[in-house]
Amino acid sequence: MTKDSLIRTLRDGFGPALTVSEGATPKRLVLDIDRTAFRAAALKLRAAGGRYMVGVGSDERDRRGAFGMIHLFAFDKDGFTVALRTSAPAETPEFDSIAPEIPAAGWTEREYMDLLGFTFKGNPKPKKLILADDWPAGIHPLRKEVPYNLVPPSAEDVAYELDEAPEGTTTVPIGPFHPSLHEPAHFAVYVDGETIKGCDYRGFMTHRGIEKLCQTQVSYNEVPFVAERICGICGSVHAAAYSQSVEEAAGIKIARRAEFIRTIMLEIERLHSHLLWLGVAGHLIGYDTIFMQSWRVREPIMWLSERLTGNRKTYGMIVIGGVRRDITPALREDILGVLKKVETEVGGLKDAVLKDTSIHRRTKGVGFIPREEAEAWSLLGPVARGRGVDIDVRRDHPYAAYDELSFDVPVMDSGDVWGTLVVRLLEIFESIKIVRQALDKMPSDGPLLTEVADVLPAYRHGLSMVEAPRGESVHYLITGPENRPERWRVRAPTYTNLQGVPRMLLDNQLADFPIIVGSIDPCFSCTDRVLVVDGRARSRRVFARSEIEALGRGRRKP
Amino acid sequence: MRALTYAAPLINALVFLLAAPLYEGVLRKLAAKIQSRQGPPLIQPYRDLLKLLGKQTLNSAGSWPFKLAPLGAFAAALAVVVLIPFGGRLGVFAGRLDVIVVIYLLTLGGVAVLLGALASRNTFALIGASREMVTMIMVEPVLAVTLILGAVKLRSLGLAAAMPGAAGAKFTLATGLMLAVYLLALQAFVARQPFDIAEAEVELLEGPFIEYSGPNYALFKYAMMLKQMFYAWLFVSVFLPWIRTGIYPADIVLQLAAMLVVFLLIGLVGSTNPRLRIDQAVRYYAVLIVLSLAAVALAVKGW
Repeated sequence: MTKDSLIRTLRDGFGPALTVSEGATPKRLVLDIDRTAFRAAALKLRAAGGRYMVGVGSDERDRRGAFGMIHLFAFDKDGFTVALRTSAPAETPEFDSIAPEIPAAGWTEREYMDLLGFTFKGNPKPKKLILADDWPAGIHPLRKEVPYNLVPPSAEDVAYELDEAPEGTTTVPIGPFHPSLHEPAHFAVYVDGETIKGCDYRGFMTHRGIEKLCQTQVSYNEVPFVAERICGICGSVHAAAYSQSVEEAAGIKIARRAEFIRTIMLEIERLHSHLLWLGVAGHLIGYDTIFMQSWRVREPIMWLSERLTGNRKTYGMIVIGGVRRDITPALREDILGVLKKVETEVGGLKDAVLKDTSIHRRTKGVGFIPREEAEAWSLLGPVARGRGVDIDVRRDHPYAAYDELSFDVPVMDSGDVWGTLVVRLLEIFESIKIVRQALDKMPSDGPLLTEVADVLPAYRHGLSMVEAPRGESVHYLITGPENRPERWRVRAPTYTNLQGVPRMLLDNQLADFPIIVGSIDPCFSCTDRVLVVDGRARSRRVFARSEIEALGRGRRKP
Repeated sequence: MRALTYAAPLINALVFLLAAPLYEGVLRKLAAKIQSRQGPPLIQPYRDLLKLLGKQTLNSAGSWPFKLAPLGAFAAALAVVVLIPFGGRLGVFAGRLDVIVVIYLLTLGGVAVLLGALASRNTFALIGASREMVTMIMVEPVLAVTLILGAVKLRSLGLAAAMPGAAGAKFTLATGLMLAVYLLALQAFVARQPFDIAEAEVELLEGPFIEYSGPNYALFKYAMMLKQMFYAWLFVSVFLPWIRTGIYPADIVLQLAAMLVVFLLIGLVGSTNPRLRIDQAVRYYAVLIVLSLAAVALAVKGW
């Protein structure tokens, strides 16, 4: 549905309760609606073909005596987004739940029950999502009166109440520590024999409160480096998404060359992330040769990243206004050389994986969801594209330099783990194609960093989406008066995909649990938004790679 | 000669106990090479065993079956090894006992693993145990047929008859079919990919062994290494009887060398296959059972 016809339908349906305005760009539609019609309008947007992205709750009592709540929808075919906004009085932050009809909104609503003390009437599962089990009732950390470093006393004998197990099933506890999960999370899997009949998820075990930290302690220009640490794999994605949201809110236009360099970094990140996933997937089905070979092929990309940015990971390249390092002609040749080698080797890997019938046996028909349900759960990235949902932010809502680049978006209709596997493998070649094109089309000079006016205007809204290797990352920003975000909402793709996992697991075998959870390439730290700091590493010593290898093999002291 | 008959079981035990970790090391090194890794040194499994044996014994389940199970598994594996006519030499036991005893002892080892798993009272151990049980039920017939094929030919259940080639029987169609079936079941016998389903590290965290540590775990590991070596030996002596000079020490060396080839095969298949699900494996085993019964029928017919 086009933007104009959508506005017409909504105006007819809601009349004076609805105010339509334009956002920061023509691609952002902003709808302000009365709280009583909030749910009805959201359902209407969904019915009109809007894909539910995420909700943003905010504490705005200090400036207008109310709480704000926004539901974000994307219209991918027509390339625009809708922010459906409403507010609730400070005393009664109550809204009607949309989760019964839009299951992907379930976690958003539960998140704000925990963090802002909202009530969503009719939410099918109003249980704790984010706060620790022993967190005292009545303290909602995202409310402004709660200090960022509050540490309430811990309590004994409190535990998460798992969902009731379906009749005739036994519970298999998977996590918080389990070799198929690389980060802490708990899945209570209800099995009948070895068939999975249900699953309850308790995650957010290492919630860092990064949003609160960045809304109270640091300034705009420091946030990209914190954002980058949301995820250990797609750091650039978060730095880019945050920077773009600030740029959109403040109306900053960055240099074209910087946009191309951002694009190249994002694609290099996708390359190494997909190869990392392929390895992990091999390990999860007990095929360690795939694991080792895939990571061997990946390693030159990590070395390349180190030459480009100074680091294998957590590059620190992308900041508000542009990027921090240039791609020199020598580095350009370096990139092309590495891509060539990787392309050949991934070609061999692809044949070995796609033609191996034993891999077919372990992935085809496993974790099946039909396309309609994948859309209802708002699945993202390769998880959605493997199920016939043709979405890709790079093509549908272009950012950085993607509007100038041509590439394919592989889509599979098999609806299972196999589909996600094929999609990811094919995307590796698309990424290589994109980097090559970007290197060709990039303007040969121009500033890397655009100077930003000292004071950014307050209370502007900015939305940015970036296609991470796992799917769409959404950052929503409201600028603040104190040189830092008033509200910064991060939604990593795993946050959405993980909600669909219990559905994927249903009626599958327990032996397929690892690969089904693995097939969404879960990044729990993205959903937890946790920061790990090694406080002990005081002494500084730089090891050469050969020294580290020697240490790892324990042959001799370096 | 009489002294040698009495010494043979002792020699069996010594050779198997000393060489089993080495073969394990070969498997690990081979997997590493296939995966472009450096891999651990060949003697790493010896170090692993020594390390585990040096640790404190924990009885985390707090029950006596839990403590006895590893001993039972190890004893059963060692007993099998002692009985067999290794190097073509019938020891004092091999002359008096028959193949049924070998089958019993191998089953006993499996039962000990189940006992330990059930005594662990751990969800993952229980799932692993149920998978182990299914595997035992489905794979045992193949093993039994392998051992009995000679018996059908020579009308004797004696251990000597189990090695029909060695005992002078001809290589027939039945032997050929059984050889193929044995190779197809080999990975399941030694619980390697694609049939390491009961242990399944990323699903069940080693399944039946999850609660075991230290010396108890070392005994299980050692028993599995012995079992692995036994299955390699069984293949060599049943299907490659011509590897034989008649000189006892030379035959031992020759059989060990042939077993190394079998291990290379195990390692190769193990590193180039993902793990199957138990339901997929059961369907596979069912085909093997049918084929091995066909081999018996052929043998009865004298083909």
